[in-house]
Amino acid sequence: MAEAPSILRIGLAQIDCALGDVAANAERHLAWIERAREEKVDLLVFPELSLTGYRLLHLTSRVALPADSPVLARLAEAAGPMAVVLGFVEEDRRGILHNSAALLQHGSPVWVHRKLYLPTYGIFQEERFLGAGKRLALAPLPSGNAGLLVCEDLWYPDLARRLATAGARLIVVISAGPGRVGSGQLPASQENWELLTRSTALVNTCWVAYCNRVGWEEGSFYPGGSHIVRPGGELTERAPLLEEHLLVTEIDLRDADRLRWSLPLLADIRDDIEGPDDPA
Amino acid sequence: MIRREQVAARLELNAELASAVLTSFIRDAVETSRTDGVVIGLSGGVDSSLAAALAVRALGPERVHGFLLPYRTSSPESVADAHAVAGHLGVPHREIDISPMVDAYFETAEPDADPGRRGNKMARERMTILFDQAKKLGCLVLGTSNKTEILLGYSTVFGDNASSLNPLGDLYKCQVWQLSRHLGLPGQVIDKKPSADLWPGQTDEGDLGFSYATADEVLHLLFDLGLLPHEVVARGYDEAAVERIVRLEKQFRFKRRLMLIARLSGSAVNLDQEIPRD
Repeated sequence: MAEAPSILRIGLAQIDCALGDVAANAERHLAWIERAREEKVDLLVFPELSLTGYRLLHLTSRVALPADSPVLARLAEAAGPMAVVLGFVEEDRRGILHNSAALLQHGSPVWVHRKLYLPTYGIFQEERFLGAGKRLALAPLPSGNAGLLVCEDLWYPDLARRLATAGARLIVVISAGPGRVGSGQLPASQENWELLTRSTALVNTCWVAYCNRVGWEEGSFYPGGSHIVRPGGELTERAPLLEEHLLVTEIDLRDADRLRWSLPLLADIRDDIEGPDDPA
Repeated sequence: MIRREQVAARLELNAELASAVLTSFIRDAVETSRTDGVVIGLSGGVDSSLAAALAVRALGPERVHGFLLPYRTSSPESVADAHAVAGHLGVPHREIDISPMVDAYFETAEPDADPGRRGNKMARERMTILFDQAKKLGCLVLGTSNKTEILLGYSTVFGDNASSLNPLGDLYKCQVWQLSRHLGLPGQVIDKKPSADLWPGQTDEGDLGFSYATADEVLHLLFDLGLLPHEVVARGYDEAAVERIVRLEKQFRFKRRLMLIARLSGSAVNLDQEIPRD
């Protein structure tokens, strides 16, 4: 692992999406891929459901694509050597729809993560229209394995923990997290996300890259606030709120190894602890 | 446990952030609808003044068209305040007296109508004028109903609650005041007693039977946090006021969901087929 290139230039494309319009969103992706290429980005990350918009409801089935769709192939081809993570509604071979993250690399779609936890409460209605993924795996990035999670997945800390213990030194989270405003300096929703990304980076001694979208859907806004957190929990860079932005950061994956030598939390995990007993 | 003296602070907003978000809401709605701006009825009250100020911040003053739509019994002070707000914001504005249109109906068909019906007619007359002006100017109608009014049903259906977009609908009245102070609206607009101005001497708090401060806090506990009425009363709020708020909230729920469609097909609009509007 130490011989793989450890410096990774990440671009977080904090974009707005046209709800239900795959063709328009694909064009936008092409434009941002072009910008990222000029910035010499190695890994470009788009938000959750970036190709379709989030609040689809009964439009969900109308925008679904198979993972081998020409739409994804065209974007992969345009990206060339750059790795790209984007969000789309995936129709699997059985016709089940998923909220998926695709990894495009070397000119073709190579890998898909299906969102594992589908929020269905408050304003969220995902389980009505989508099937949950069943598999957690490491994403084969050029710089070594990484974790890739979609939004709600991060709220179940065992997933990030399993990815880190399996070798991920970076966890990429793509999100369409709606904003809420309270009295704080940041949106209340952003405060929650940063608590979560920072604690994930702290207890798993890994990098976390969080890409959230901007724009409005049905009166609900997405604040952006995409950010990078160092192994150990320090938030190093945050994109501006409420506007489209490409946040480009260079990270050294070896920083995770270095921290793990001095803070061996993952190495010290025990699997022999019993209890609490099932009260039933 | 949330104590009564903590509730008001829970409703305080980061006013600059809230203004920035609501500004982006207006700008996004105008851009995605490919319209030229917004029209807004200016009453001289704090709600329409705040909505106009947010629109000016979103679009610039020349794309915000103010309409003063007084009836002959409207208070001259309200009209003067509306002019002051329009001048303060620098928006193009126009005054149209709605008395002839409203009077024509009641004089020829319903001379015995009570003040409530006349007030509703005025609100709906203003609505038809605003939507007509929106058509003429290629604009959207900017709504001004706040969350307190919406939850209490304190509005005229298809009148003042009708709009193309509403930046204030998730702000309690106290939050409307907070943002208005933040945006530097004229003091007389913020400090005066809220009134629908449908008849002389009318005030909202007189109509409702409790203060906005009480309404906002009780609604926050009931609606936002899910407390039961007796749990609200146990925190020291007046029992009669809480009961009345609970009753109004329930009685006027229909005003929040206006299209009631009888479902026959299994693919009924909005019930089986929830297609987003954006």
